[in-house]
Amino acid sequence: MELNLDEIAPELREELNRNVLFTTVETVKGWIRSNSLWPLQFGLACCAIEMMSTGGARYDLDRFGVIFRASPRQSDLMIVAGTVTKKMAPLLRRLYDQMPDPKWVIAMGSCATAGGPYVKSYSVVKGVDQIVPVDVYIPGCPPNPAALIYGINKLQEKIRYEAKTGKRVTNP
Amino acid sequence: MLGFTKGLGFTLKKLPEKKVTHKYPDEPFPMPSRFRGIQHFSPEKCIVCNQCVRICPTDCIQLTGKPHPDPERKGKIIDTYDINFEICILCDLCTEVCPTEAIVMTNNFELAVYSRDELYKDLTWLDGNRTNIREEN
Repeated sequence: MELNLDEIAPELREELNRNVLFTTVETVKGWIRSNSLWPLQFGLACCAIEMMSTGGARYDLDRFGVIFRASPRQSDLMIVAGTVTKKMAPLLRRLYDQMPDPKWVIAMGSCATAGGPYVKSYSVVKGVDQIVPVDVYIPGCPPNPAALIYGINKLQEKIRYEAKTGKRVTNP
Repeated sequence: MLGFTKGLGFTLKKLPEKKVTHKYPDEPFPMPSRFRGIQHFSPEKCIVCNQCVRICPTDCIQLTGKPHPDPERKGKIIDTYDINFEICILCDLCTEVCPTEAIVMTNNFELAVYSRDELYKDLTWLDGNRTNIREEN
């Protein structure tokens, strides 16, 4: 049987090089990972109150498979909720290193994104992305629970998109 | 046994009640009328008085004006207007101080992004953000 492998269009060949079977497996993996995001409880300031409220009955994060874990070894998402001081920064990095791969980080609130109201302070880290790689930034002071749910949905979209296409969400 | 029946009776009584969980991503979330969301900016109302820049506690607003194109008229019109939502704490002070209500709050809150660069919002974006504008400012 002739397969005529030389006459395949370049874009189809590119698709074949990525291996059709493995693409499907990656998509399934992305779907599984995005629907069982277990975040580490990392409440540092008032944003943690909103995060707790999001875990409660009215907003109910369990609907998305987001179940809070008390140990970094069991979690694959870190929601940095609150002001990260320079004293807390090494501990945050250690907790991130203790999390098993694959892992993601959400910077919740203005403080974790860029310092927020403490942007002129001497003791606050100006953005948690100086310590760990951040996937989704949720601005707001603090972001209300619905905004946190929106951010988590954005992260789920990112996980599925990156698994499906193999491309990064930023700088396409 | 009595306690068991009592508890089960309570459960059965609560069973047909409406669920408290809000279906947020499927339905829009209605915010209260004084909610402080993302600002809407109307360039035609702005008189470039710089008061929002001066009151901002985190200095996240930058604006520049240019002279009015009509030489008969005094004053300036807005040229660029940027809000840095990385450090904006949505404190409502800029809308309170604005004499012409050029900058008002909306009830929108969906601003999560993948990159910090996308959080710099310019005049055209803030003008386009005109849904759910707060009635009273």
